[in-house]
Order: sequence, then structure tokens, then C-alpha cells
Amino acid sequence: MKVLLKKVRVFDSNSTFDNQEVDIAVENGIIVSIGNIEDSGFEDIISGQNLCVSNGWVDAGVHYKEPGAEWLENMDSLHAAALEGGITTLVGFPNTNPTVQTKESLSYFGNFSKNNLVSFLNYAAVTKNCEGKDFTDMMDLHYNGAIGFSDGKNPIQSSDILLKTLQYLHPLNTILVTKSEDKYLSMFGQMHEGITSTMLGLKGIPSAAEEIMIMRDLKLLEYSGIKSEQPLLHFSTISTLQSVNLIREAKAKGLPISCDIAAHQLAFTDESLLDFDTNLKVSPPFRSKSDVDALIEGLKDGTIDMIVSDHNPLDAEHKNVEFDVADFGVLGIQTLFSVVNTYSGLDLQTIIEKIVLNPRKLVKIESPKIAIGEKANLTVFDPDQEFVFEEKNILSLSKNSPFIENKLKGRAVAVVNNGKFKILG
Amino acid sequence: MDSLSTRHLLGIKNITENDIHLILSTAKEFKEVINRPIKKVPSLRDITIANLFFENSTRTRLSFELAEKRLSADTINFSSAGSSVKKGETLLDTVNNILAMKVDMVVMRHSSPGAPHFLSNKIKANIVNAGDGTHEHPTQALLDAFSMQEKIGDLKGKKIAIIGDILHSRVALSNIFCLQKLGAEVRVCGPKTLIPKHLGELGVKVFDKVEEALAWCDVANVLRIQLERQQLKYFPSLREYSLYFGINKSMLEKLDKEIVIMHPGPINRGVELSSDAADSQHSIILDQVENGVAVRMAVMFLLAQKN
Repeated sequence: MKVLLKKVRVFDSNSTFDNQEVDIAVENGIIVSIGNIEDSGFEDIISGQNLCVSNGWVDAGVHYKEPGAEWLENMDSLHAAALEGGITTLVGFPNTNPTVQTKESLSYFGNFSKNNLVSFLNYAAVTKNCEGKDFTDMMDLHYNGAIGFSDGKNPIQSSDILLKTLQYLHPLNTILVTKSEDKYLSMFGQMHEGITSTMLGLKGIPSAAEEIMIMRDLKLLEYSGIKSEQPLLHFSTISTLQSVNLIREAKAKGLPISCDIAAHQLAFTDESLLDFDTNLKVSPPFRSKSDVDALIEGLKDGTIDMIVSDHNPLDAEHKNVEFDVADFGVLGIQTLFSVVNTYSGLDLQTIIEKIVLNPRKLVKIESPKIAIGEKANLTVFDPDQEFVFEEKNILSLSKNSPFIENKLKGRAVAVVNNGKFKILG
Repeated sequence: MDSLSTRHLLGIKNITENDIHLILSTAKEFKEVINRPIKKVPSLRDITIANLFFENSTRTRLSFELAEKRLSADTINFSSAGSSVKKGETLLDTVNNILAMKVDMVVMRHSSPGAPHFLSNKIKANIVNAGDGTHEHPTQALLDAFSMQEKIGDLKGKKIAIIGDILHSRVALSNIFCLQKLGAEVRVCGPKTLIPKHLGELGVKVFDKVEEALAWCDVANVLRIQLERQQLKYFPSLREYSLYFGINKSMLEKLDKEIVIMHPGPINRGVELSSDAADSQHSIILDQVENGVAVRMAVMFLLAQKN
């Protein structure tokens, strides 16, 4: 393997070449030269207008379907979709069948990562089968490769379980990733509670269902007295203005917390559901315009640390049905960067921070810098390329993308990782 | 000839004021027809209509069937309530069956909000929503408006109170859209747990006390307490509801004005409405039933013109 990246602008605040346009030569997975490099002697040369490079993109919020529901997405289709989206590292929630709650489960994913361009990492379950009752062997899971803990799509309802999890995990220097939703308030809810849900006759999920849980968790973290330099508690896929405010205030107080949003939250509001499109049925639901604005503000001022896809493949049996029967969830891994770049209005430095630097820091995965002699884990991308995302382009086994037929801007063009290289598209 | 702006009647929200006027004036002609010695017209001869009722219904189904027969349409009926099969599969399978049977129009009642929208994206036939869960019941709203107009004339500036379980009521939502489009002022009354939190954004004010609502309105449209639609607890007991939100004749006689009492049926007698109020001279509940046939004839007649 001998590849030359020609005239690429570097996005890596840890690199001395940050924001410079350079040539990068990669040989057998290692960056061997950076600067002005002759074209001869390479197996492949990547060149084009306005090409950029950063460390490989990370999606730290993915719902794996294998094992248990391989017809929705198997490891091969997930690998292909991630790669097409420029993503070299995935972190999956534990809600597979069986649940990721044993070291055997973790090694199952570890084996897929070997010799592949994309690495598959895991949050292990906090409670058995993510039911919120009995703890898994968290210490054992931590020492056997779990890079964080979460009950995934199941919010932890018990205050006692949440508090004890924080106390138990703190010495391990790991992270608890939790979805904030009071299940009593959201019960039978189908979409954001507001004037649109009222007009559609659909039971609403009030913003308060999310905010109450964030308030509770912050209170419990404060009560625990835990001090930590690193975030210990991470709020996954927040969606409301008040949630952003609560987290901003708590961060200012020095609580060890972080949070993320799902990329699709930037593109839609509850009003997008007026035609009962089940491909827009997500949890948390699409909120109001002011919520979306607050999310963007939170991304800009650093309150929101990262952006994930919340990728959740579902087939026609789950989606091509009446709205209240349909499952929550959309595809997202293949369009993560494109969606953020199209809808957020964020500059490229900030986007790279949210999908590369911060996730690598938060889940403590290696973050090689773009420098000579370093391991090449790189995504080459064209931020200006416009394209229409079509159903036939979807590489997942499921097709539940809300972006079909949408015009998107910016995409990955090549990926280098684990000594391998692939030109995309 | 005037025609509707739509091929389907999915709800009142997405039809125009002109559509409503057209339906109501056509219904007036059909009401005259069904009061003739020969009540049948050949308007929908060769048109096949499928009545798909995925939820229990007696009066709405009968009303549609009668309207179809009066229009000389061919009809097929499908009823399936509480099917053990997963709902979505049933509906999709049914869609394919309808396609195969080449029906021209589908009248559908379903427990899922948006189910007729779902259907309208899959098949070519005209769709009439006969009630979709807690969303809309457009023909009920149209027949209510027709009955009100018949009784008190033009609805512009008239005051209509909708009383009862607003949260779970497709009748309330369709009534609000319809009456507002016709220029009436609509307010609601019921226990706060049964009033949608964001209803105010539709310009609908809320009365906490039923006496205040009655004192304010020209027409009280009293809704059925729909225990079957309440998946959670919303109020303590039917006893308490009837004590504090029920309407009886003595309350109506205390009012120093004319008032019209309506109810979409079936009435829980003694809960939301006492028998002496339901059967009083204020009540136009049986007119509503008669007008239902005429309004549904108008809707199906006008939709069939769109093909």
C-alpha cells in the first residue's frame, strides 16, 4: 500500500500542519511524508479541487443489529455504509440480541475490527438486558474492551441505579452514556408535543420528559460528590432548548458531564411530520425551530460536545406501516457528515471537532495526529461537493433514511485506516 | 360545475372553505332527495365503494352504507376490530386486496391517526376518512356544521362550545377546523387532563366550568367520554365526571336564552348528557343522524366527480 493524497487541507488542531494545504504520502498504514511530494511511485493518487483531510471520523452512537436482527443490518453492510460515510470508528449501543453484556460479546465485535478499515467499538450494558434492574459485571466488561457503559435506547428510570452506576464507574475512568427520557411522561407518545401533534391527533412526547431526567441526573451527580477531570456522565441525543441550557449551566459549575445530539435533529422539526411520514419518526422526536436553533448554538459554544448518527436500521415491516405502529429510528451513518455540513451552518473546524476530536477524547480511543511517522487513520473529504442522496445509494440493508431525494453538500472521498485504503463513491 | 380541491377527504384541515361550502350546499340538495318518495338517485352507478372498518362502528358505518345505496353505488364491506394480527400487516395486506378488486372509492375507519393518509399514498381510489384514531372525523364535522346551519343559520360569528374529552376526540379536532373555517368561534370545556395543552395555539379558549361554557355558547356539542381510547388515567371516575361536567335539562332551563344541544352519538346517557337533556327540545341529535346521510352522499358524489 502506497498512496499519495495530493493538495489536501489539513484539519487537525493537534498537527503542526493544521489548516495548511499539503501532500501526504502513506505507506503501509504509516504517514511517511508531508509537504510537497513528487507524484511518481505511488499505487494510488487522490487529487481534486478543495480536498480536505482529517483524522478518521467517529460515530459514537450507532445501533448495531447484528447479532439478533441481521436482516436489518449485518456487520458487512454496516461496514460498507460507515465507510461510504467516511467513518473509520463506530461505537455501538448494547441493544443487540443477545445484549452486549459479556466479554464474549465484546470479542465478537473486536474480531470484526481486525483487518478491516472500520473499527467496531462498544458501549456495554449497565443493567442486564438493559432492563434497568440488575447490574452487569461492569468492571469485567471495562477491562475486556468496553469503552463506555449505556443501556442504549432504554433510558435508566431508577434514580438509585443511576447513582450507583456513577459511583461504581468513577474509579474506572470510563463514561456512562445515558438517554434522558421519563418513560411515564413519554408513554404512548409518537412525536414532539406541540401544536403539530395536537393537529395530527398523535400523543405528544413533551420536552419535559427529557429535561426532567437531565435535571435528575445532574442532581444525582452533584449529590454523589464525584470530582473528575474527565466527563463521567454523557447525555446522549439531547433535543431541547432547556436541555442545552441545563447542561451549559452544569458544565459551568464544573460537573463532569458531556453530551451529544443526533445529526438528523439539525434537519427537521415537528412540522416536518404533517404528512405522517414514518421515516421521520425518531426518538427523541423532532422538536420545534427554537429547539433546533438552541442545538446549533450549543454546538457553537461547546455545550454540545459531539454529533452522532443514532443510526437505527429498520425495514418495511417496522416503517411502512401506520404511524403509531411504526418503530422509532432512522438511518444516518452514511450521511452523518453531509447532513451536518448541509444543515448546521457550522464551520469545518467545528464539525471536525464534533465528529473526530471530541468523540475520540470522550470515549478515549486513540487519536493519532497528522504527522510524519504516525499511524494513518484518515478521512479525505470534499466539503463542497453537492449530490442528491438516492435510495439506490443506500448501502445499509434497511432503507429508512429521511434524506432520500434530498440535496446534500459535502462527502468523504477516501479513507485510510488499519493499513488499508479505499476510494469512495 | 364547482368541484372539490382534493381527490380524498382525509381531514378538514386540508380542505378549503370553498370545499366545505360546496359539500354543505350539495348535501342540502341530497337531503331533499332522501325525503322524496323515491329516495334513490343513479349518480354513482358503476362506482364500487369499499367500506373498511378496522374499528367498531355502527352508526357511521350504517350512515355511509345508506348514503352509498341512495347513490346507487356497488358496495363491499370489511369489518375487523381487535384483530390479533399486527395492525400494520393487516392494513398493507388489505391495501393489496383492494388494488386487486379494483374499487373506485374507499371509506375507512381505523384506530391509527394518519391511516387514511397512509392508504392514499398507496392506492389510486378516492379515500374518505370515516375516523382515524384521535385525529379527524371529517364527515362528522361536516354533518355537525350542516345541522348547526340548518338550526341557527350562517355560522359566521356564532359561538360553539365543544364539551367533554377533547384530547381523545377526532370529532373535536375536525369540528374545530371546520367551524373556524366557517367563521364561528370555538371554545372547549372539560377536565384539564382531557384538554390538549397546545389547543390555545389554534385560537381555542378553554372553560373550566361547564356552566360557564353553556352560558357563553349558541351551540353546545357534547362529546362522548371515550374510555376505550384512554390508555392512561385521566380523571377519577364517571360519577365525578357526570357530577361536574354532565349536562342536564335543569341547567339548560336556567339559561336565559336559546341553546342548541348536539352529540355525535352514541350517548352515555347519565354521564355527559342526561336523558331529559338529550331528549329535550334543545336537542338536534336525531337531525344530525338524518343529515349524516345527506352529507356523506354529497362527499362521495363530489369525490367521484374528481376521477
